[in-house]
Amino acid sequence: MCDSCGCASPSDHSHTKTVDVHESLFAANENIAKSNREHFEAMGAVAINLISSPGSGKTTLLEHTIEHLREEFRIGVIEGDIETERDAERIRAKGVPVVQLTTGGACHLDATMTHKGFHQLQKEPGGDKLDILFIENVGNLVCPTSFDLGEHHRIVLVSVPEGPDKPAKYPKAFTSSDTFLITKTDLLPYFDFPVEEAKAEALRLNPKIKVLDFSSKTGEKFDEWLDFLRNLATEVKRQTA
Amino acid sequence: MHEISLVQNLFHQLADLAKQNKMSKVISVTMQIGPLSGVVIDSFQFGFDILSKDDDLIRGAQLIINTTAVTYRCSKCGATQQSSGVKPDGCSACDEQFLFAEGGDELILQKVEME
Repeated sequence: MCDSCGCASPSDHSHTKTVDVHESLFAANENIAKSNREHFEAMGAVAINLISSPGSGKTTLLEHTIEHLREEFRIGVIEGDIETERDAERIRAKGVPVVQLTTGGACHLDATMTHKGFHQLQKEPGGDKLDILFIENVGNLVCPTSFDLGEHHRIVLVSVPEGPDKPAKYPKAFTSSDTFLITKTDLLPYFDFPVEEAKAEALRLNPKIKVLDFSSKTGEKFDEWLDFLRNLATEVKRQTA
Repeated sequence: MHEISLVQNLFHQLADLAKQNKMSKVISVTMQIGPLSGVVIDSFQFGFDILSKDDDLIRGAQLIINTTAVTYRCSKCGATQQSSGVKPDGCSACDEQFLFAEGGDELILQKVEME
């Protein structure tokens, strides 16, 4: 009798077995992302994942947004960077709860890091009850696009000095995002950045994407962004209530 | 992107499957990878070859990769066309530029042959 399987044949025959699995390699991240989303919703918070290259103005956008909206909404921020607390210090100076995640080399945030950051944030003063949670991803237009953090809304930013070819060159950042922000429009006189062409390019990749352009620094068209956020917060709250 | 770490995830999963099924050797692994998954197939294969050399369970196993297509649906007339990943310039029926991508983002472990 065979020692391995107990069948009647001698033990020198081979035992092969084919197992049908059909499971995504992203499944582990997606399961954690789902539980993050439930945590955010239990608190009544709308989570927004900000993705862009380094230096597109994510932190500056948050500083100005907090200044304008902190009386209307309870805002919290999870900052992702490879090193340093610098971004968190800038946000902390605006008086809202913030947690800095330093990935120590990793080029993106994933759902597990976000989960840890969220629980740290809940321990910060005011971090246990939020209306809007911003998650500022590591500056990178490639890797962050593949990782769901549990956000309700994903935003990709491109600043005017980066050039209008970013949608064409980094399509996944645009196909996976809900909104596209063109920032630093105060620099348009100095750069060759045809705003309408960049918009059209992004829409060609993702016909559902919403596009806004403004300057956080001068405040030009910044009201459109603030109104957009107000609507988004109300809309997501209504859907998840 | 993160092909090496994805291969590491795959190996953890294979180790679990081998344990559950009381198997000691992986013969072949079949994956489904879509053009919009963000995974570079050559890098994934490279990671598999490198990492499997140090893994008693997986050493010598064959990696079979099935690629999938993306379906592009016209936002205007609804006509669909298949592509291996390059987005068509317009709808094949009405020339509309706005097309929605469907599928093609798979990174799926389909089946494992073990002994």
